[in-house]
Amino acid sequence: MGKPNDLVQGTLDLLILKTVALEPKHGWAIAKRIQQISREVLQVQQGSLYPALQRLEQKAWIKAKWAETETGRKAKFYSLTASGRVQLEKEEANWNRLSAAIDLVVQTS
Amino acid sequence: MAWLQRSYIRLQTLFGRERLVEELDAEMQFHLDEQIAEYVAAGMSPGEARLAAMKVFGNGTAMKEQAWDAWGWIWLEQMGRDARYGLRQLKKTPGFTATAVFTLALGIGANAAIFTLVNAVMMKSLPVSDPETLVRIGDTADCCVNGGAHEDGKYSLFSTEVYEHLKKSVPEFDNLAAMQAGFEYRPVVARMEGTEGSGRAVMGEFVSGNYFQTFGLKPAAGRLLRDEDDTKGAPLMAVMSYDTWKNRYAENPSVVGSTIWVNTKAVTVAGIASPGFFGDRLSSTLPELYLPIESMPQLANVAYVHDPGTNWLYLIGRVKPGVQMVALQAKINTLTRQALSETEAYSGAKEKKYLEKLSVMLTPGGAGIQHLREQYETNLQMLMAVSGLVLLIACANIANLLLARGMRRRTELSVRTALGAARGRIVRQLLTESVVLAGLGGLAGLAVAYAGTKMLLALTFHAQQSVPIDARPSGAVLAFACGLSLLTGILFGVAPALVAAKTDPADSLRTGTRGTTAGSSLLQRGLVVVQAGLSLVLLVGAGLFAQSLRKLESSDLKLDARNRYIVHINPQTAGYSQTQLEALYRKFAERFHALPGVVKVGLASYTPMEDNNNGFDVQREGHPDTQTMASIIRANAEYFDSVGTRVVMGRGIREDDTPMSRTVAVINETLKKKLFKPGENPIGARIGSGHGNQWEIVGVVEDTTYTDVAWKDHGMYFVPAMQRAADQKEPITQDESLYLGAIVVETTAPVNNMEELARKTLAEINPNLAVVRSQTFAEQISNCFNDARMVAQLTALFGALALLLATIGLYGVTAYTVARRTSEIGIRMALGAQRSSVIAMVMRGAMSQTALGLAIGIPTALLCVRFIESQLYEIKNVGVGVLAASVLALALASLLAGLVPARRAASTDPAQTLRME
Repeated sequence: MGKPNDLVQGTLDLLILKTVALEPKHGWAIAKRIQQISREVLQVQQGSLYPALQRLEQKAWIKAKWAETETGRKAKFYSLTASGRVQLEKEEANWNRLSAAIDLVVQTS
Repeated sequence: MAWLQRSYIRLQTLFGRERLVEELDAEMQFHLDEQIAEYVAAGMSPGEARLAAMKVFGNGTAMKEQAWDAWGWIWLEQMGRDARYGLRQLKKTPGFTATAVFTLALGIGANAAIFTLVNAVMMKSLPVSDPETLVRIGDTADCCVNGGAHEDGKYSLFSTEVYEHLKKSVPEFDNLAAMQAGFEYRPVVARMEGTEGSGRAVMGEFVSGNYFQTFGLKPAAGRLLRDEDDTKGAPLMAVMSYDTWKNRYAENPSVVGSTIWVNTKAVTVAGIASPGFFGDRLSSTLPELYLPIESMPQLANVAYVHDPGTNWLYLIGRVKPGVQMVALQAKINTLTRQALSETEAYSGAKEKKYLEKLSVMLTPGGAGIQHLREQYETNLQMLMAVSGLVLLIACANIANLLLARGMRRRTELSVRTALGAARGRIVRQLLTESVVLAGLGGLAGLAVAYAGTKMLLALTFHAQQSVPIDARPSGAVLAFACGLSLLTGILFGVAPALVAAKTDPADSLRTGTRGTTAGSSLLQRGLVVVQAGLSLVLLVGAGLFAQSLRKLESSDLKLDARNRYIVHINPQTAGYSQTQLEALYRKFAERFHALPGVVKVGLASYTPMEDNNNGFDVQREGHPDTQTMASIIRANAEYFDSVGTRVVMGRGIREDDTPMSRTVAVINETLKKKLFKPGENPIGARIGSGHGNQWEIVGVVEDTTYTDVAWKDHGMYFVPAMQRAADQKEPITQDESLYLGAIVVETTAPVNNMEELARKTLAEINPNLAVVRSQTFAEQISNCFNDARMVAQLTALFGALALLLATIGLYGVTAYTVARRTSEIGIRMALGAQRSSVIAMVMRGAMSQTALGLAIGIPTALLCVRFIESQLYEIKNVGVGVLAASVLALALASLLAGLVPARRAASTDPAQTLRME
């Protein structure tokens, strides 16, 4: 794993939604967070985050606001919307079902 | 609700694009900066950090484009770009653009204008509620007052008695209204109380009390007429039209309830009709006042209102839902037959037979009484056909222009394909370009349509008065015009693009600049040939109508219009009774003779070349009834001289032909021919209706034209103004024919204020005497040719348009061919070809197309004459003159269209073209 193209689009959406679910984050923070949490396993090509963010924003799952970072620079902070939260739950459930199934297949064979 | 939110976001994205792009840039820059800062903190040099950060970030530009994609408006942006590019391209070729837009504008504009008129005259409903449920009893525009038995059994006009009978006995109608057919021929004179000066002749229509109720109208102020107003002895009431209220009284509410003097009687204005309602028929003389039928005997002093033998009303009713038309028609026929069989006109056995044939047609009544439609239907249909042909020619032109342009751009398209442009993308771009062009043409077409409709209305109605037709093109017209131009654009703009996109770019790049092929395709030349043929047909048509008009105008009317003025009057509206008329007519003659320069003062029922006629069955005493119809005119002694009619036998009417002397008549030559054998002396014989002994013939006059030039064999007889036949049953106080309608004044020199003089002279006699209409005799005659002139002018206009378009088309194709063959011509000239032979070569191509067009056009034109023959005056086929003129015009135009590119071809510099290779 690790190649960005391996990461299917749906999974990236899920990761972003999950990442901004706790608190509003800007793009770079989202990228960092995904890398850290996954212990550097998920190496998304950072730029591809932005088309995904635009897509999610168009779907009204996340919303953006310009604010200052701790270092005093202006950055665009993304946060989850109500419909985004519903979508996140849906995608989490999907993922869990899928990974459980894969687990089952991998372990029993 | 999520979709609402999403739509909002999408709209925000659409209109805030530029800000979004900037934000995305800033956001990505921030990301990179943070990453660089992190790497620097980890110990890299700023340069290394930058490179590393960009590496983990990936291709920024590609990411941006992907992000824009997510916004989902890319197609719109591309379209906008294509449109801008298209406009730029069009701007680069102003000649092409101007020609195409001009062509489209003329083609679309002419058609939209004609269609607007057709729509208003032939299709549009009256502005009343539920026009679909209105039904008219009757199908023709029969006018205005008639009587007697109808041999053909056709009825569109009804007597008051039949109307009341039907109204009572047909419960299938919610309401059945009656309206005066000929109000346009009987203006009333109205004067608002409290205003100075003499009254004004206005249109007043007598209608049944339920008229407005039947149409489902609401008053703009006050109230509308009711059944109670339409009863004998009811107070006199009138409803004023909204336009009159607005234009003459500035919507003053005090008009309602005030008194208006109509034909010298006090009438109360009950209310104002609804805005937009212009009466029950489209016309250039709209009613200003609506008056109840029962007030007509009192106001207009006519005896026929309650005469069961006189038909003068149109009927329109509103049927109840679910009524079967066929059954209703049968019922109405039975009822009408029943009512008529009791009248005097059908008392004889022969007449009873006519009744069996009686057929009253029910027709849709939503459009009212379609006088205009009947009058102009053939003209309009022909104009529609003609403008359709012009549109066809215009489309052929556009097709040709776009084809040529498409071919010329082959190289450009090849380059673009070679550089990797997708075929779909190229086609889409060309499509956009065509649509932009069509849009421009359509827009310009609308302007032409608006101006054209205004012109048509002015031509049709001679700007007499406001016409209730809106010159603005309707939605249907707009859609039609735009759709058509779009279709043309797409069809002929994309076809060559597709062809070009399919060819191997390398191939066409290799050969794109060097062509020895014939240049223009068969399709292109075919289009030009068709254009030439069609325009010849239109030119011939225009020539025929012009010839017909000239024939009409130059026909010998056997009258003299020089220094003659016609003042129309109606003494009856000024309150004169029949017994006062003799003195009044003498006073007319006296007072007008007292004006400076007046030579003759004629008085007559009506005058030559005006839209009026009063005809009866005339027979000779002691001879069987030959069913000879003749028109009768009452006139004074100076009348024949005043209009320039010459007495050819016996004498004219004299001063001493008074009511006391024997009753005499002067007949015209046609009536003499109809009633007498050649060589037989008519003087002293007696003629008349009934037994034929009413009038003794004392003279014969030549056939001055009355009513219409096309009315040949028009028998007429003239009797002294106040003489009455001895056997006349009706009392003098009911004899309407004694009211004369015109004063003809002949002067020694032109008088330009005759109307004013007449007004003053009449007002001096009696302030209630109004001028109904005043014109010079020449104007009156000229007005009779208005329709013919309109048709001639319009067909000439369309013919010229067609010729212009065909010329442009031929020029376009020839010029294109020359451009394509530049190098070939250059080589020919380098090899010694003369300028003249190059010109000849190009001209041969151009002229051969014209010749082919002529070969198609001439027989078509000859065949088409029969479609318009009925509208031509004394022309049965295409004359050599008209044909030769049309062919010459087309030949000259194509010579011109060929010569310009031919000369350009001949001035090709061989050295330069060879260098270009």
